[in-house]
Formats: sequence, C-alpha cells, structure tokens
Amino acid sequence: MFPAKKPLTVVAFAALAGIVLTGCTTATDATAPNSDTEAATITLYTSEPQEKIDEIISAFTEQQSNITVEVFRAGTGDLTARIEAERAAGEIQADILLAADAPTFEAYAAEDLLLEFESAEAANINQDVVDPEGFYVGTRIIPTVIAYNTGLVDAPPTSWQELANPEWANKIVMPNPDVSGAAAFNATVWYNDDNLGKEWLKKLAANNPVIVDSNGPTSQAIATGTQPVGAVVDYLARELAAAGSPIAVSYPSDGVPYVSQPAGIFASTDEADAAKLFIDFLLSAEGQQLAVAQSYLPVRNDVGTPEGAPPMDEIKIVTPDLDTISESRAEAVTYFNDLIG
Amino acid sequence: MTSSASRATRGPAARGRAPSRAQFLFPTRTTEGGRLRWDGISWLRVAAWLFCAGVIATPLSAIAVQAFSGNHLPLLLQGDVLEAGLNSLISAGLSATGAVAIGTALALLLDRTDLPGARILRLFMLTPLLVPPFVGAIAWLSIAGPAGPVNRFWSDTFGAPLWNIYGGDGVVFLLIVHSYPIAYLIIGAALRRVPSDLEQLARIGGAGAWTAVRHVTIPLLKPALLSAFTLTLVSNLADFGIPSIIGLPERFVTLSTLVYRYIQSGTVDAPLEVVSTIGLLLLVLAAIAVIADTLVSRRKLELDGGATVAVPLQLGRAKPAIALITWTTGLALTALPIFALATQALLPAPGVPLTWENLTLDSFRRALGSPSTATGAINSIVLSVGAGIICAIVGLTIGTLITRLRSRDNAILNGLALLPQAIPGLVLAVGWLIIAPQLGLFNTPWLILCAYVMAFLAMVVQSVNAPLRSTPLALEEAARLAGASRARALVDISWRLAAPAAITGGVLVMLTAVRELTISVLLVAPGTQTIGVLIFNLQQAGAYNAASALSLIITVIGLAGLGLTARSIRA
Repeated sequence: MFPAKKPLTVVAFAALAGIVLTGCTTATDATAPNSDTEAATITLYTSEPQEKIDEIISAFTEQQSNITVEVFRAGTGDLTARIEAERAAGEIQADILLAADAPTFEAYAAEDLLLEFESAEAANINQDVVDPEGFYVGTRIIPTVIAYNTGLVDAPPTSWQELANPEWANKIVMPNPDVSGAAAFNATVWYNDDNLGKEWLKKLAANNPVIVDSNGPTSQAIATGTQPVGAVVDYLARELAAAGSPIAVSYPSDGVPYVSQPAGIFASTDEADAAKLFIDFLLSAEGQQLAVAQSYLPVRNDVGTPEGAPPMDEIKIVTPDLDTISESRAEAVTYFNDLIG
Repeated sequence: MTSSASRATRGPAARGRAPSRAQFLFPTRTTEGGRLRWDGISWLRVAAWLFCAGVIATPLSAIAVQAFSGNHLPLLLQGDVLEAGLNSLISAGLSATGAVAIGTALALLLDRTDLPGARILRLFMLTPLLVPPFVGAIAWLSIAGPAGPVNRFWSDTFGAPLWNIYGGDGVVFLLIVHSYPIAYLIIGAALRRVPSDLEQLARIGGAGAWTAVRHVTIPLLKPALLSAFTLTLVSNLADFGIPSIIGLPERFVTLSTLVYRYIQSGTVDAPLEVVSTIGLLLLVLAAIAVIADTLVSRRKLELDGGATVAVPLQLGRAKPAIALITWTTGLALTALPIFALATQALLPAPGVPLTWENLTLDSFRRALGSPSTATGAINSIVLSVGAGIICAIVGLTIGTLITRLRSRDNAILNGLALLPQAIPGLVLAVGWLIIAPQLGLFNTPWLILCAYVMAFLAMVVQSVNAPLRSTPLALEEAARLAGASRARALVDISWRLAAPAAITGGVLVMLTAVRELTISVLLVAPGTQTIGVLIFNLQQAGAYNAASALSLIITVIGLAGLGLTARSIRA
C-alpha cells in the first residue's frame, strides 16, 4: 500500500514476481498473493477455536504475504481479563479483537477504545451486523437453536414456546449466561421478546434446566444424552452430527437469536492498515467461503450455507434493538439467574 | 530416609521440645560489641525475602492496588459473595479433611504394610495428579452424571438415580479425588521419617497393628497431617475447573467461579477491581488457615531418626479383606475415570455407542497432528521442570529457615510462600499481566515461569515443613558444638534432612504445572501454548474426543515417568 517507503528494487522485484506467478490470470484475481503491502505484524485476540483461526490466518497470509498475524486465543472472559489487565498496565496490546457479541464491542466503543473504520466489503454484507457508527462489523451469524439427541427424542420442540412445555421437564440443558456471552445475549433477547418475555422464562425455569458452563459442554451433554434437549449454538451441533454424534438441530419457528462474532480494531493500534486488510479479508467472498466451510452461517448471501444448515431465508432470525439489549443485559441475566437459582 | 548423621544419635526417642534451646544456639542476630552480627544465615534470609518480594509480593500488591482503587465491598456484600464464600470454605474444608484422611490411609497402607501389589496401586493412586481437574470432572460426569450408566441403571431398577454428581457434594468429592495425591505424598514423605521401631515396640508390648498405628504412628505424623491439610485447604479454595463444571449446574457457586461470573458476564463496571477484591477476600480466608496452622503447630513432638531398617507391619488375618477394599476403592477412584477417558478418546464423537466397529484412532491423530501440540508440550515440560527446580531450591531454603531457626519474621515468610495458592489462577495471572510490561516480561515464557513459581512454591514449603517440624534440633546443635557456623549447620544438616521432601515437593510442582490451565491461558504469548491450554482449546472447539485423547496420552506418559522415578521420589 505504501510502495514509496520501500526500496525501488524490492517493489520492482515484487511486481515482477507477481507477474510471473500470476501468469495468465487477471490482475484483479483476489487469490493472487499480494506482496505490495508494507510488511507488518498484527496481533489478533480472538475466541475462535484454534484450528479455525489457524486456517483463516493461513488463507489470509497467502494473500498478504507481507503481513504476519500473531494470535492469542482464549474464551471471551479470559480475553476480557487480559484486555482489562493490559489497560491497567498501560495500553491494549492487541490490534484486532474478533470475539463474542455486539454489546461487548458497544461497551468498548463507549470507552473510546475502538477505531472507527469502514470495511471495503461493508456494502456486500448483511447490514444488520454492521455497526452504523463504524466501530465493529459482524463476521458470521451464530444462531442459538434447539438441539436434541436423535436417539432419545422423536418429536423435538419446534419453537421456544414448546421447549417450555412440561413434557421437557428435567431434560433441558443450557449454557450459563454468567460465563457465555452468547447465552447472556440470548437471555436478554428472550427477556425483551414480546411473545416470550418473563412469563416464558418462568415456564422454562419450571422445567428445571441444567445450566452448564458454555456452549461446548451443552452440545456434549445433548450428544451423550445426559440431557437430551437444549439451547446451543447451531454450528457446534451440526459439527458433532457430521462427526457421527446422535444430535440434530431444530431452528425455532418463533425466532432465532444470534451473535455475530464481530471484529473491531483497537484505537491504540500501530498497524491500522494491515488490521483493516485482515477484517476486509474476513468479510470478502473468500473469507466467507472459508467461514461456510468451517460450518458457520455467513454474513454474505453469495457464498451459500454450510452442509446441513437450511438456506438463510428459511431461518427466522431475530434482530433486536442493540441499545435495548445493552441496557437491559444485567437486569435480564439477574432475572434469569434468580429464576433458575 | 536415615542419614548417616541421624544414625549417629543411636536409637529412637520422642520427647517434648525445649524452645529456649534453639534460641540459645541459633540466635537470629547476636550483638557483639554493639554491632549486628551478619553471617551466612542472615544473607540467606535476605535472599529468601528478596525472592518472595519479587515473585510473590509484587504481583500481590498489583492485585491489591486494583482491589483498593475502588470500593467494591458494597457490591460484593449485597451480591452472592457471602453465600459463595461460605460454599468455598465448606467445600475446601471438607475436601481437605477427606484428602488428608485418604492420604493418611494410603501412606500407612502402601508404605507401611505388606499390602499385596502396593507398588502398582501407588502408581494408580497418583493418576489424579496427572489429569487436569476440568478433564477429570468431565470424565466423572460420564460415570456419575445424571444420565451416566450407574444412574441410568439405578433409575431403571429403583425409579430414582443413585447419586447425582452435580452440586456441592460432587464438588467436594472431586476436590478430594484431585487433592488426596498431594496429601499422600506429603504424609508419605514424613512417614518415612517415623522409625518403625516405635511401632515394633508397641507390638512387643502387646498392641495390635491398628492400635500401634493409632497410638504411636499417627500422633507422630501430626505435623505432616497439618501441613497437608493447610496446603490442600488453601489450594482447593482457589480451584476453578471442578466447581465450574460440577457445581454451577446446581448453582453451587464458590468465590473462584464467582470471579469468572464478574469478569465474563460484563454485568459489572470495573470487573478487574471487583475480581481483585474477591482475590483478596480469598487471601484473607487463606491467611486465617495459615495462622491457625502456625498456632496449632507450636505444640509438637520431636522424633529422632530410626536406627533400624523399617519393617512392614503385618496385616495378618485381615490382609485379604483390607487388600480387597483398598484395591476396589483405589481402582474405582482412578481406573474408572481413565477408562472413561479412554472410551472417549477411542470414539469419533460424543454419544456414539461403544462398539468394536466404532473404535477409531482419529481423535489421537487430531490431537497429535496439530503442529501446536509439539510446541505446547515442549513449552509445558520446560516451564514445569523449571518451576519444579526453582520451587524445590527456594522452598527448601524457606522451609528450613522457618522450621530450623527462630526468627520473628518466620510466620510472615511462611505465609507469603503459602498464600498465593489460595488466589484463583485468573486473578494471579491478572496481577502478573499488570506488572509484566515494567519488568520487560510481557509475552515471554518467563512470565508464566514466574507465575508458576508463585502459585506452587507452597507445595515445596509444606512438603519440607512436614518432616522437619518433628525432627529435633539435636543434629544442628551437635554441628554447632563441633564448631560449624550456623550456615554450615543449616546446609550440611537441615538441607540434607529435608532434601527428599523438597524433591517430592518439586515433583509435585512439575506434575501440577505441566497441565496447569487458568494461569497459562491468560499469560501465553500469541502463538505459544501449553498442554493445559491445548486440551482446553480442543474442548472449546467441540473436539471433546481429541481433548480426551490428549489428556490420556499425558496421563500415560506421566505415569510412566512416575513409575521410573518412583524410587528416587521415595529415596
């Protein structure tokens, strides 16, 4: 991007190499390695599973051979702790955060920790996941659905309403909103939903659901039959099904809450351009094809959906007002905890 | 062990201790001609203090600064902190009692009697040390969870599950399972210093084996029991994996899981300050335990080394029954979860029925195939061996300084070494992260090493304290009378007496550090990992079976290593 800062010979050599390597393909081919960008090392903090983020980074560095991406992977809570500790010590050490849900990013934006930017790909993606103020942008659709054990359940609940019916008493498992950001988000969406709300939460609580740590153990409990039905993010259930577990998903007809695993750039970054390139890549057709291959629902509608998932237009997605969610999250989680506790 | 020096005292003797003697022979500082006399011991003490100041007090003060930068006590008092604090105390107290009871029984049965197969059983009984608690908890869930085979059978036959592992009772049970090996190693090391002559004497006097053990051996083990109790109590206060997996589903919240609630949910402002306050709260609880330990251990018996080769107690007619009970309980506690791990590791995905056709090695391939596995393993081994060696040396120094020499700062030095164990790994790691940039340690492996040393030093100090507390100062006194300096007496006598215990402690540190999770997960530099983090990442990615496979491999390698070094540990 800034060839002027480089010795001319390097640029010339890179250009030559580019011509030789790309051969007959057109210059706009997105998969051709781009060594024109200034060499940079960016640090990414993410909650993506390790194998997935490794694939993403290697696909990105194939395109941008001058950019090195160092990744720190941890659960959302550990990421929060590390970022808070770095703030206390001086400055956030990460350039990019790719994790969790929009409210987490709203909180950082409110403290002026995020850089405003517009992705070159912003126009091509689902506008629901783009922050109007430009502090972050969603990178996948991660819905929470009803999953069930196919060996133990013949007629699964098809809606959240049905899940609260007494026939599911003592059979339900859910992630803990104290631990899982997605679970806290869902609890808040349900709490604010006109058709579900407090009444439904009370009925659900009467079914005595088992509350486990996070989505991982939830899907495991359903697959092993410990608790034959539960609320869990869809991709974990679909991946287990593909690996042979007796588990299937049912997309609730009364609306699927989702988190968007947003990406944002910290304002303290020294490598804003490289960081933007990385986020552009996540949102590009190639990046989204990779997301689909990793069994995520994409934020673009030109890349299909993962195997085993319905087309996007058949899923009723709930897109709540984020301000309401951010404001009422603590209240909703407390309400949920008081009911279950 | 019986050192050549202790043999010189000829014959066993137990007697009350005259505290003033130590004062007389081992003055902390004597004034000669009005000047403070500094000798090797003083320098050693200064070095120990400097080490503790750097590795323990500095990160603790970073936590304290966070805790006191805002007043969060009102939030904590109106919240669930009281209930969680009570749960923490009860679960840690009960589990430490249970761990010491099992550890004592094991030490006596495995190291002191003619129990058949004791050597193999000993290896089995140490396996819980090698399995990360969060993996152990998941393995136990598949055995005693609400839909585990036992409960399913019981429900089908009797209409209700036998025992549901979720909840406070399950937390206590699993904490016991994962901490009795530590208690056993400490008590076992001290037991080897109790001469079997005394038991023999009691037997000759007409006492049965059990009476001899109860009235002679156990009273002599009291200091070790106390050391083991304090250590397991303090470390179980901070455990996160077990209460989060077993306790939370039944809303059994402890202070260490509450830490995660506040940091993760984003429902409190200034989560770091709140979490640091909880960390300090746990520190206070631990401090109470340490003070109680110090007060109780003031009254004690002393014991000279045995003059004869230890003779195993004959179990006699009860032998078959005791062997059956010990082996059954031992295998139930250790082989069952390993079997559960192995089944998980050999199946492609959770919930797939266990049949011959379904068995596969794919999970092993996935666990071992990742390039990060090899580097993670090397990181973990280097860091844990490093931490083990440093802790063994520093712990030996501190342990001997505080048990063999009188000084007003002993209690503080002891407390400083013990207390960090009570702070949840997340809070400890935050403390280190805050000071890391100033120290130039940010994103280096040295940061993890420092944090491991801080967190696990207590294991060596308590291991060293246990046998030394009941050993008389006669040997050091003899050395002093023969003209040795205080430092010479300490190095030549006290260190040699305590070296086996320090090695046991160092091995404990290595085994614990190699699969440590909550500290490492925050402190690893981008791109680097440790084994605990690797297993956790696999688990988080939904690769439960690969996580089980990796845990199983580590357990088996660790067992092999323990088997090979068992002799040197027992030396």
